[in-house]
Amino acid sequence: MAEDDSEWVLESIVGFLGSPEWVIPVTDFMENKCTVFDDEEENKLSYTEIHQQYKNLVEKLLENYMQEVGINEQQFLYACTSPFAKSKTLQIVFQPVLATDDFQMFRSLMVQKNMELQLQALRVMKERNGELPECLTHGADVMTELQQQEMKILHQVLQKSKEEYEEEMSFRMLLDEENGSTSSSSSDKPFREKQASTSSQQDSTAKELPESEQDQLQQRATYLRQQRDRLHALKKEQQKSSYNSPPEEAPSSPTEISAEEKKRLQKRKHLAEKLKEEVIKK
Amino acid sequence: MGEAQKGLLSVVEKLKGTTEQEVRIVLLGLDNAGKTTLLKSLASEDVNTITPTQGFNIKSVASHGMKLNVWDIGGQRKIRAFWKKYLENTDLLIYVIDSADKKRFEETGLELSELIDEENLKGVPVLIFANKQDLATASPASEIAEGLNLHTYRDREWQIQACSAVSGEGVQDGMNWICNNIANRKKK
Ligand SMILES: Nc1nc2c(ncn2[C@@H]2O[C@H](COP(=O)(O)OP(=O)(O)OP(=O)(O)O)[C@@H](O)[C@H]2O)c(=O)[nH]1
Ligand SMILES: [Mg+2]
Repeated sequence: MAEDDSEWVLESIVGFLGSPEWVIPVTDFMENKCTVFDDEEENKLSYTEIHQQYKNLVEKLLENYMQEVGINEQQFLYACTSPFAKSKTLQIVFQPVLATDDFQMFRSLMVQKNMELQLQALRVMKERNGELPECLTHGADVMTELQQQEMKILHQVLQKSKEEYEEEMSFRMLLDEENGSTSSSSSDKPFREKQASTSSQQDSTAKELPESEQDQLQQRATYLRQQRDRLHALKKEQQKSSYNSPPEEAPSSPTEISAEEKKRLQKRKHLAEKLKEEVIKK
Repeated sequence: MGEAQKGLLSVVEKLKGTTEQEVRIVLLGLDNAGKTTLLKSLASEDVNTITPTQGFNIKSVASHGMKLNVWDIGGQRKIRAFWKKYLENTDLLIYVIDSADKKRFEETGLELSELIDEENLKGVPVLIFANKQDLATASPASEIAEGLNLHTYRDREWQIQACSAVSGEGVQDGMNWICNNIANRKKK
């Protein structure tokens, strides 16, 4: 009997993996914790702790969902073993779940997320400043002076983000809905309540960290969330304007850059990281 | 901690697209024993630029139709406290000893006997590499086996293999033992 169920069970789980109930807490977790993941060959001991927290989070989310819709463990097992689950597309969809069982996959997802955030920070910078300063594109010696300038800008971004936060939240909701994700919340309020509950869940998984580090993580989380929201809003803006006039400067996507550009990006990446660190520590 | 794997997540493994048999091997031993050198030589990588391990390294090696995921954890005293976190679901333990470091035979013996008592390693086969046999001062494997009281081990398979991670001598013999051992276990 359970075998017959595997198709709808699989479908249901795939749907869940695209819903805000899954995407928001998992993305939040990754954005909170990805900053220590660099692309050095050697792994840090802290990665293991974070991987364990991730496993706990994923298990809790899946468990809750299955309980909610009435999928039992046997049905889940059959769904996982079904050949349909092994298709290329679904294997990609299942990556965040498979990462619980595969440290190396988890690590590469985190490294990737870290890079993404750094690129986002750069885009925000670019948006504020029009262009990236000389030192970021060509690595001149005037680093420190420009660095300070950039710090100021990032501070402003932080401040402004706070004001714009409300507005952008609704942008994000719009975006989520447009992406076809089945948000059950149609008003702003329950949406934010949901968010609050997922972040408190994270507090409990991060219990083992010293207080100062938790604080820092929390600040970082807020900051990064703001950055992400800004980016979403920005993208939205660009989408809108591209109907009327071509965008003045398309954001450089990491997939369409030359080797030259890549080298420069690497440089920017490092500086952005430093800036981020310093701003957040304050 | 650790509970997760026993519940829902133990099923997740079944989701994986590949059917290749995966084996989890943990590589432990005192600092400077030659674990990372061994790991890199297993992966046919350069062994001349290795520095003491502060965290851990992982390499996946294909052998005898299996995928061996080898975890090399740093052996410095302050890192040894974390070894326990890496033992879960381990199929096989490789313990590496610097055969020329007689001063620390007792210390390495103590660490090994503590590992042997770990619940997560119950019944798990152990391969001991008596490494650095290329050094003139190295003790022979038989002597080390005696010092470690290996003959008293019950309820698990064990093997000691003389080797040199630098020259590669003996390493393949050890790996063959591992693969035969695992192939036999899985058949049962
Ligand atoms: N002569 C000789 N030297 C070796 C051999 N294997 C490793 N070494 C050397 O021993 C030193 C320590 O090797 P590592 O591989 O870093 O030792 P490790 O066990 O990983 O040490 P930690 O990372 O601190 O736990 C290095 O200088 C290696 O070149 C060997 O078979 N013969
Ligand atoms: Mg090492």
